[in-house]
Amino acid sequence: MTTVARPEFDPELKAGLAVVGGVFPPTITPDLIAFMRRSYASPPIEETLRGRAIERRDHVIAGHGGDPLAVSVLRPAGIDTPRPGVLFAHSGGLMFGDRFSGADLVLDWVDGLGAVLVTVEYRLAPEFPDPFPREDCYAALEWVAASAEVLGIRRDRLMVAGASSGGGLAAGTALAARDRGGPALCGQVLDYPMLDDRGVTPSTRQFDGVGVWDRVSNETGWTALLGEACGGPDVSPYAAPARATDLCGLPPAFVDVGAAEIFRDEAIGYADRIWAAGGDAELHVWAGGFHAFDIFAPHTALARGMIRTRNAWVEKILSD
Amino acid sequence: MQELLGRISALDPQASVSLRVIACFDELVVGNVNTRGLLSAAASLAGCTAGFRQDLPARSVRVTPKGEIAEGRALPPPDSSISCDGLTVWLERAGPAHANDTIILERLALALRIRHGRGRRDVDNRRELGLLLDRTVPVEERRTAAARLHLAPGVRYRVLAAPLFAVWAEHPTGAEDVVPTPYGPIHALVVPQDHARGGASPSGIGVAAAPEHLHRSFRTAVVALRLCAPPVTGCVLADWYGGVIELLADAPLDADLPDVDSLDEVMGHAWGPATLDALVRAGSVRQAARLAGVHHSTLQTRLDAITEVAGFDPFDGIGRTRLGIAYLVWRLRNSRVLDLPAPTYTASTAG
Repeated sequence: MTTVARPEFDPELKAGLAVVGGVFPPTITPDLIAFMRRSYASPPIEETLRGRAIERRDHVIAGHGGDPLAVSVLRPAGIDTPRPGVLFAHSGGLMFGDRFSGADLVLDWVDGLGAVLVTVEYRLAPEFPDPFPREDCYAALEWVAASAEVLGIRRDRLMVAGASSGGGLAAGTALAARDRGGPALCGQVLDYPMLDDRGVTPSTRQFDGVGVWDRVSNETGWTALLGEACGGPDVSPYAAPARATDLCGLPPAFVDVGAAEIFRDEAIGYADRIWAAGGDAELHVWAGGFHAFDIFAPHTALARGMIRTRNAWVEKILSD
Repeated sequence: MQELLGRISALDPQASVSLRVIACFDELVVGNVNTRGLLSAAASLAGCTAGFRQDLPARSVRVTPKGEIAEGRALPPPDSSISCDGLTVWLERAGPAHANDTIILERLALALRIRHGRGRRDVDNRRELGLLLDRTVPVEERRTAAARLHLAPGVRYRVLAAPLFAVWAEHPTGAEDVVPTPYGPIHALVVPQDHARGGASPSGIGVAAAPEHLHRSFRTAVVALRLCAPPVTGCVLADWYGGVIELLADAPLDADLPDVDSLDEVMGHAWGPATLDALVRAGSVRQAARLAGVHHSTLQTRLDAITEVAGFDPFDGIGRTRLGIAYLVWRLRNSRVLDLPAPTYTASTAG
């Protein structure tokens, strides 16, 4: 029995946890990575795309170090004119999931807003530690920009997006693009992003053993990515964007997060520091929300609000 | 969530998916989630549109698995719909029913009945039955609550208590709600005084009492419930224990009780539970041996061991009372009846 004070989960979400807990336990230790790779594998993409007017094409591109890297390009069916593009990094704690995990939500931007979505099969920790996952994402971003004409993507309207670990990778990719003079970005969507390996915020310590993705799970993920360096002085801000001291000159950021999850404080902090640096950020903190509740319980009032709000921002940034 | 349920089954074919459906609705009821939220959950769990219709005033809502209101004309409810108290619920399943459809519909119907429950919400956010069963509420308020629940003054009723995940073989009609207790939310149902059978397992049926004293029935029903041992004893009647159960209902179980502590060792033996149960029910060693199904010399040996550990002779005068009460308190302290089975993500399934 814990005595830590913490915000309650929203009742509809709490009910959802009775089901979610069966595939995504609150506490993920290294011995559960194999289980999570099975339980968090995305359903067949053909099923996800059924009933949607979306064309999918798979490519193998050069990832970090020139290694082969799978990406899928999903575009609105029958439209050949150049469209806004989104590079998407999936969720899964840096250790599991695949490029179609959580795709259902971002596919709304394809058939709803007419964007072209490029989703990347970045390599996973611990087999592929830092910088593999992010540099795979960065390589995919450069490929999208370089192949924009062929892919039918507008180079002047290119956005990065990601959820959870993918949100951290998207933020790191945006930082790297700024510092390396890489492709220009019109926005970054950071859904409940995993930004900080240090685990020092109050929210990190509020949800041990409950909800989705607790402090121990986070340590498991960051240790898989960073090994011994985790929490120490030598972690790159591209790997853990919360460590970046300079948040000037970034593309407009959309940050959303649950109030009842460990990433609450680092998400709020990141948006706050973007503002302090004179940047553009929109922050939404959803009361009673556990981590990634829009993926696990999209039918709930809270998730519908989160999805609607996010899609409205994306529409503002991307649509013609 | 239908997809998640499918994944759970794929990962562990032994997993009780229906229990998760039940637990899901438990939380929705406890959280006072509204009609649309309940229908959203049902539709999401089923993977098809869920519908609801109430007769008076006429109202109909259909919700898709994504939680959106379904547009268009509602078709007549299918044969599989559930109707009760003027509320009808259904799933718009194209093709044959899925394995979980029955349990989803049943729980949806129960949750909606409670949400649309008799009586209004009071200012303190509780509904009538919650007020009626709380002895700290002034008696006049309790009488008012009883009247709103159509309970006749002077007539005696009983309260049936069950966890939200109880399995109902028969669901009596009566005022019902989910009531918070120190042991978590409990499903409480008012039944007539002569109702003395369990419609649910596990469940406890409290002592008979007039409407303004039904809080006593409820507290004894919860004790009775916690004395259940399903599947063997799915329902316990408070009357079986007479006045003792009322003392137990008010006893602080975490108090320092050496007689109870001493039973930890006895109950740790394989023979402990059956032997103690026989001892408290028997009038002699021979009768206890018969009840426990062992030779009387075997029982005598165990009795000697118990006397040694407890420090008193269970067949000697006040010793009988001490053992009987200690045994019941031990069972209450160690009751697992209200525990939901743990989710099935053990290391062994991780493979």
